[in-house]
Amino acid sequence: MGCLFSGLGVEVAIPGTYFASVKMMKPLPHSERHLGRSAILCTLLFAVFSVGSRAGEKEGDRPYFNQKEVPENIRDLKRIQEALQKSLPRSRSATVSIDLGGGSGSGVIVSEKGLILTAAHVSGGVGKKMTVIMEDGTKHKATSQGLVAATDAAMVKIDEEGTYPYVELDGKDTASLGDWVYALGHSGGFEKERGVGVRIGRLVRMADETINSDCNLIGGDSGGPLFDMNGRLIGIHSRVGASLEQNMHVPVGEFLTNWDEMLRNAFIGEGPFVQKAGPAFLGVATEDREEGGVILKAVGEETPAGTAGLKEGDAIVELNGEKIENGKHFSALIKEGKPGDKVKLKILRDDEEMEIEVELGEK
Amino acid sequence: MRSSLLGLIGFSASLACAQQQFGQLEGEFRLNGKETWKAFEPVREVLQASSAVIYGGWKSVAYGVVVSADGYLVTKASEIDKIEEISVRVDRKHFKKVEVVATTVEWDVALLKVDGEELPLVEWAEAEPVHGTWVVSNGSTTRRDRRVRVGIISANARQVGGGRAPVVLGVTLKINDESGGLSIDKVHEGSGADEAGLESGDIILKADGIEVKSMEDLQEVLGRKEPGDRLTLRIKRGEEDQDREVELKKRESVFEEEKTRNDAMSGRVSQRRSNFPRVLQTDLPLSVRSVGGPLLDLEGKCIGMNIARANRCETFAIPTKELREIIRDLMNPVQGEEGADEEEGSEDPEEE
Repeated sequence: MGCLFSGLGVEVAIPGTYFASVKMMKPLPHSERHLGRSAILCTLLFAVFSVGSRAGEKEGDRPYFNQKEVPENIRDLKRIQEALQKSLPRSRSATVSIDLGGGSGSGVIVSEKGLILTAAHVSGGVGKKMTVIMEDGTKHKATSQGLVAATDAAMVKIDEEGTYPYVELDGKDTASLGDWVYALGHSGGFEKERGVGVRIGRLVRMADETINSDCNLIGGDSGGPLFDMNGRLIGIHSRVGASLEQNMHVPVGEFLTNWDEMLRNAFIGEGPFVQKAGPAFLGVATEDREEGGVILKAVGEETPAGTAGLKEGDAIVELNGEKIENGKHFSALIKEGKPGDKVKLKILRDDEEMEIEVELGEK
Repeated sequence: MRSSLLGLIGFSASLACAQQQFGQLEGEFRLNGKETWKAFEPVREVLQASSAVIYGGWKSVAYGVVVSADGYLVTKASEIDKIEEISVRVDRKHFKKVEVVATTVEWDVALLKVDGEELPLVEWAEAEPVHGTWVVSNGSTTRRDRRVRVGIISANARQVGGGRAPVVLGVTLKINDESGGLSIDKVHEGSGADEAGLESGDIILKADGIEVKSMEDLQEVLGRKEPGDRLTLRIKRGEEDQDREVELKKRESVFEEEKTRNDAMSGRVSQRRSNFPRVLQTDLPLSVRSVGGPLLDLEGKCIGMNIARANRCETFAIPTKELREIIRDLMNPVQGEEGADEEEGSEDPEEE
């Protein structure tokens, strides 16, 4: 199993637990083998079930070639090619490379204002700064929004206001096993001469939280879009197995389910694709002060407190304007913050009132 | 009896579970499955007639493109250069007498000749294919039948590898601060430079009598050379000027490419997969031994020749426009030498 987030020959820092946990999620080739003959049955039953249950929604824009078991002749193949080439320009213009310094992934813009869907192991957390690169090389600053750590879904928003090219979602989640699809992504990182790479395939395996296609993916494609032949987004690339036919995507439904919470910058669920930052850390030992507030008994060197200039003996009386009652209250307020947050402390040093800003760290 | 019945029930139960959670498409219906390939039959017939299978002994090592009715064909040079007992099959005919007529190291293409008669040729496509165009090429073969692999055009046609000369001295160079010339920083083991006794600290003055002051100067001289050619280097060692004759070797045989994480997930890739003046990129899942054959569109017209398996999702092909020029040059060596006299920029020239 490979991680699709990659730099050009640069090892990318990914939490060690990532590989371990992902390994367990690898679809077992053995079980597929055993299913062998029975899987034909599965396929047929699944197709009947899914078409039957959603026929009403799908009539109309569902390409006829998706209703065939396989394309039968050159004419069918040409219809697939025409559909792909018709929707490709727009899909390409909305597909971005996401540069995080040490490595890069991909993403896709889904709103005119620059909301991007990507993989959680690409965005790497909530509130992280990154650069997105359009196919023509234009760069924009962006910030990561919410994510679902358990399924590898994440949002990123371009910082600058503007009008961006975007794609439609398969909002009714109509994708079915066997559908023809295509994958885009900046494989191995942004390359202007090459541009975004497109690969064709079919949906070969469907589960609630993962869909597989035989569109071949590689490092750098992570977070990139998987489209149906109408150019609607049906998934986001996440990971690959050892075989060329194991390319795994987060279904768009997973994003839709968590949409509002992700917009509110929620860190949903736990690992394996991204680990929550530890509780915020200041780096002091305190004792309660009789008049309210706390007195610093010790300040760690090279801790956020030490760096900001707090000293042993300082009394802290307010945090972000809130009066501190005692040590317990103070500690609770710090823990509410996230690493990277800046807090304003009102302190008394030799009876003189001062204000010090401290950027909270991670233990 | 009882136990097998129980087994059956157990099996059905797990099957029902599998249906709901893991609906999956059987292999033959996938992009490169047997049932899907059937639709490409008219294009396969072109491969059957006009592609060549190159054998080393019993094993097929590459494919080729038939370019003349009397038996000229082109293939990937580096896949056949160490093959003994080379033979060629076109359609069902087996040719045991094969002559390697000429090669170009710039493009890694070899021109072969067999005693053919009225071999059907590929038809060249007029226009270059755009993104999303179906492509069809040789995938595997039996003695009787060629089989296809299918994919699409994936990315912009472009130069890969920064246009560096395909042959190298086998040294890492740096600009000498005092003289401003090129000095040798490191000599790579087993390279021509190593065998010629070049040493770290030697300053390069001339190559084949031409004054060399920059990486570009040296690139220009190397760009005209083939593997196995010799280059006379005038170097300055200490206070003394010396002439050394250096055998030029293929870049990939001296400098091992840096293995990336992406390579680790790619399976086997072509040894020479970079440093081509211009290629098409497809998502064809070819094996290392299935490059060299024609790249066809749905009309069966030839849009290029597969030249390298680059990684898990990229296969490169020489576009038809350039391929036809290469073939013309290889069949007429005098023109070929003029054609190689091109100046190319270099982005990463420290290894020469």
